Amino acid sequence: MGKIGAWSSEQDRCENCVEMLFVRGSGNCVQCDTPLRKSNFRVQLFEDPTVDKEVEIRKKVLKIYNKRDFDFPSLREYNDYLEQVEDMVYNLTNNIDVENTKLRMEQYQRENRDLIQRNKVKLTREQEELEELLLLEQQGNEQRRLELLQEEKRQLQVKRKNKQALLDELEQSKLPATLLLAQHKVRAAQLETQIEQQKQAVKPTNLFSTGIHMRQTVSLQPAPKIEEVLYHYMPLQVETYGPPVPELDQLGRLGYLNHVRAALPQDTAGGYTSALACHRAVQDAFSGMFFMKR
Amino acid sequence: MFHNSSHGKYWIFQNEDEAEHKRYKANQKFRNKILESGKPGVSESKFLERHEEDVLFRHYERRMLDFCNAFKPAMPKSVVGTAIMYFRRFYINNSIMEYHPRIIMLTCAYLSCKVEEFNVSSTQFVGNLLQETPEGQERFLEQILEYELLLIQQLNFHLVVHNPYRPMEGLLIDLKTRYPALENPESLRKNADDFLTQAAMTDAGLLFPPSQIALTAILNSASRAGLGMESYLTECLGLKDDKETLSKMYESMRRMKTLLKKYELPKAEEVNVYKKKLERIHAEFASSSNKRKRGYEEDGHVAKEARLAEEEWTDEDLL
Repeated sequence: MGKIGAWSSEQDRCENCVEMLFVRGSGNCVQCDTPLRKSNFRVQLFEDPTVDKEVEIRKKVLKIYNKRDFDFPSLREYNDYLEQVEDMVYNLTNNIDVENTKLRMEQYQRENRDLIQRNKVKLTREQEELEELLLLEQQGNEQRRLELLQEEKRQLQVKRKNKQALLDELEQSKLPATLLLAQHKVRAAQLETQIEQQKQAVKPTNLFSTGIHMRQTVSLQPAPKIEEVLYHYMPLQVETYGPPVPELDQLGRLGYLNHVRAALPQDTAGGYTSALACHRAVQDAFSGMFFMKR
Repeated sequence: MFHNSSHGKYWIFQNEDEAEHKRYKANQKFRNKILESGKPGVSESKFLERHEEDVLFRHYERRMLDFCNAFKPAMPKSVVGTAIMYFRRFYINNSIMEYHPRIIMLTCAYLSCKVEEFNVSSTQFVGNLLQETPEGQERFLEQILEYELLLIQQLNFHLVVHNPYRPMEGLLIDLKTRYPALENPESLRKNADDFLTQAAMTDAGLLFPPSQIALTAILNSASRAGLGMESYLTECLGLKDDKETLSKMYESMRRMKTLLKKYELPKAEEVNVYKKKLERIHAEFASSSNKRKRGYEEDGHVAKEARLAEEEWTDEDLL
């Protein structure tokens, strides 16, 4: 199942059916009998054909309505513009008021031809810059990979040479075999450490990871001092329309806690103190006591 | 604090007349709705008068209290208090002719369990409807769930209710700590508790802050035991120099006591007569006004889809 049809109707067709339909050059949609062209068929990306249809319509609309947020003097106007665009996409997707919407689009296109063109150019330039950056990154990655491979090859070669040297010596030298083996082991160990050191060695570069050049002096000016009034804490005053409630930490001293159930060890483990329940009860008792509804 | 809670801001009225006026308007609204709907066989006499509605309201309130007191596991007082308050608030703005109190009272209890964090599963809840078979309980549960959203909406989504039970505890603690003139404040507890239970069946919760209700309960209990507590108000609560507030407090307490005295137990014969009238009204008119669709109706009431007609059950099914 793949391609779906043009704007006017949304259907799934498998490749074969599409081919069959167009064997004559052009065919009509089965459901709504509008003439279709083969070039208008695309590979379906989403499961729901309506979503795919909307995506296509959106691409087309946004080609024309390509204003950006800095083209508008206020956030409100930008949002209104976006809302207009969404309405258009919605109308076209759900076949509401298609004629009118298309007319409006053409009118907009005519009126803002220059702006559209400029924005298109801007967009393409931005995309190009992005692509360049991506390319650079890719190239860097490639280089690093190649270098790594070469390094590994070299190390393998060195190891092989070492082994070969050992075999040659065993053949030709007059020294005992054990001594030769010992020498060989020492040499192999030295090679290993050499390789390790090379891995640790920092590759000489002249760029920090943030992209600043090593030699470049960046002027770090001190942050501008903002003079403001210092914050002064004022405790919150709440009008309770009732007698004053003693503070939570005063309840024990004032003797309230003698008249509430003491907290069990299980309660205190969870953070509960009898003062909490006592305070809440007294607070509720006094809250709104002098309150009179007007 | 209480004064800027939703309870304090929106559900405290200035006097009893204001509350009564709202109920009158709810009654009128239902009458006009039915009269204007142009149904055949409608006459004024078929509707319930305000005092008849009152009797039935008190009757169903008592049924709800019995249901909550018999509830297993034992329902804490705050849950019961909240349920009664929901019931009362709901029928401030709605007529019992429009929504049958039998189902609303169960919905109030159910919602109150949730809000006050008293964890019962829905099956456990309807399991307390002892006269019902399991299938009957299931049907009740469906109805409760249907009306739940409506109840929440008619409470204007103000679900936190400040009950006077904790203030009473706080006052007892304060008395024990700061008022040695009263030797045994614990002796006041029982009578004060009864006062609070009775007060919940009046409009006191809609007119006075819960701390005032608790204070009245304590003072009332003390005066019944022959103990004077005026110096508590002047000394401990600091009202010695604030004569105006002190006199206003006494005034509120007097009004509250009057409310409790005015309470009449609903008489069985009256209840039966009015109940029949109510059932007839619901059978004739409720089926049209309770047409439920998914989501919101035009007149702004929230409901879910109807499953069964209400005529199948009678009150005896409940308890």
